[in-house]
Amino acid sequence: MSSQLPMLLFLVPFFAGVSMPILAARRPSICQPLTIGAVAVMVVLAIVNLRVVLNGGPIEYAIGGWAAPLGIAWLDDTIAATVVLTISAVALLSLIFGRVVVPARLERSISYHTLILLLIGGLVGLIFAADLFNVFVFLEVAALTGYALVGAQGGKASVFAFRYLLLGSFGATLYLLGVAHLYAATGTLNMADLATRLPQIVTSTAVAGGLIYIFLGLSIKMALVPLHSWLPDAYENAPEAVAPLLASTVTKVALVAWVRIEYSLIVPGLEVGHVPVLVLLEELGVIAALIGGALALIQTDLKRMFAYGGVSHIGLILIGVSLGNPTGFVGGMFYLINDAVMQAALFMIAGALVHYHGARSLDDLRDLGPRSPWLTGALIVVAVGMVGLPPTGGFFGKWNIILGALEAGHLVAAFTVVASTLLTLGYFVRIFACWFNRSAGAEAQPQPVAGSLRVSLGAISVSMIALGLMSDSIVRFLLESLAGGGV
Amino acid sequence: MIHPHDSAIVRTLGRIVIPVAQLFGFYVLVFGQHGPGGGFVGGVILAASMILAILIYGLDAHDSRLAKTVVHGDGLGLLIFAGVGGLCMIGGGQFLNYTHLEIPNLDEASQHYIGILLTQVGVAVDVAVTGVSIAISLSFEGADEPSDEASHG
Repeated sequence: MSSQLPMLLFLVPFFAGVSMPILAARRPSICQPLTIGAVAVMVVLAIVNLRVVLNGGPIEYAIGGWAAPLGIAWLDDTIAATVVLTISAVALLSLIFGRVVVPARLERSISYHTLILLLIGGLVGLIFAADLFNVFVFLEVAALTGYALVGAQGGKASVFAFRYLLLGSFGATLYLLGVAHLYAATGTLNMADLATRLPQIVTSTAVAGGLIYIFLGLSIKMALVPLHSWLPDAYENAPEAVAPLLASTVTKVALVAWVRIEYSLIVPGLEVGHVPVLVLLEELGVIAALIGGALALIQTDLKRMFAYGGVSHIGLILIGVSLGNPTGFVGGMFYLINDAVMQAALFMIAGALVHYHGARSLDDLRDLGPRSPWLTGALIVVAVGMVGLPPTGGFFGKWNIILGALEAGHLVAAFTVVASTLLTLGYFVRIFACWFNRSAGAEAQPQPVAGSLRVSLGAISVSMIALGLMSDSIVRFLLESLAGGGV
Repeated sequence: MIHPHDSAIVRTLGRIVIPVAQLFGFYVLVFGQHGPGGGFVGGVILAASMILAILIYGLDAHDSRLAKTVVHGDGLGLLIFAGVGGLCMIGGGQFLNYTHLEIPNLDEASQHYIGILLTQVGVAVDVAVTGVSIAISLSFEGADEPSDEASHG
């Protein structure tokens, strides 16, 4: 039974999503409980899955019984199992948070909840896929549902959803073009099979061009600077109820897809036309981390600030995984998990501020009346995590990336991590300067917040600290999976 | 907004063409087991026949009731597809591994035959429903989300 876990993890949200129009046709009020229930089942399955993978090694799932490289293969290894658990847990908390801020029209909308479940199913498939074309399919499932969710509120959001759709489709086309190059050069789409066939011909123009197309396509999806321009607008205008889910998962999972390709196809020290590929990727990460952080610093709108913060962290993760040594790689992957949690927390806080106080910008924050201690507490925890202070997980991720950079002798990368920390500190100082403004009426009782909001904010704050406390064991089992030739 | 067509020639021809198109759609779906055809193409032809009925008789006419009914079936095709895959998993195999589709008194080849046919039926239903949904949402103002609105009502 345990060998079915990867497919079950995909089928639970998928089944719930496609049966929604039939189950909820006469009772639209069951949409929300059904969605949350399905994701809760996923979390349980993901925990079991992680335990099975840690104890029994990676699960290779041959769909239809056709073994790779002929059939479509899914690979459920340590990294996939960890990321799937992160995604499903973050999705569950985001949905619980969404109960508070979701507009009544969307709360009873069947298509809205089906889209959420299909998005989660697509992300799970994207994480497990070990086949370049399968990655494309799930990339599009996740992206198309993402466009629709961004525009779900209509009005101005539709414009940004449409721009996201145009750029995202351009990225998907580039990705597919790259896949076609690799397929023409090798005759296979399976990643493990490609990894054995590519090294001899990787410097050929066709293969190098194909890898560049794939990277460009995925860069748009993961919002790597300078291809990030769709992200702040899209996430600023997305419905408050799904913004945490979108911001914390979509770009990260696209990055995971790239990490799988990079790890299996680009060996450390590889040079194409005297350009060391991994160092080039690392420099792109450096640019993204610095520019994203600087852009976050000059924003006045909270959601845009957080969105640019996410853009800068994508750069940090790319630095980590491109250092070419296990320490940096594991640091990057561990930071990715933390970043998913932190982005969800940031957009929950921003969404709750809009919902309860109508506050969107820093100026609004300054004039804000008394606010709930739950919001203040969660903001402090997430600020500590974003800046990267112990005991939150953010610190241990950055620490391992810096160690990896020093191990590789890349001082620019190490400097960038520190500089981005300072930039992050800069914009959180701006937020706190407005947040703890003395002139606000401190005597009045704060407006009480809904129980769901307390649960989601509390749980996500606890998980940020828990990730830090458990960082040692998480980093250790990630390292072990690398030594075993995983990913 | 599409209005019913009042030409006698169009309406009479529609009565002849639509059933034939639907029969042909089923034929293509089943013939996909032996040659060119299959669920996607069959579904497109079925959708075309229903869209033709909407174009000729209008959405509210008695003759278009099939098209109005099927838009409620959003997701049904995918459910059939995933359900067959799930049955294979219950039988102990991987998703869509028809060897493990437990049907009594059938040899392995027949199991594969039935399994593929069932998934193709799922694909056909899904494509047909999607085609009709797209046609309705593009052509009728004020009914932005026909499936949603229909299921709410």
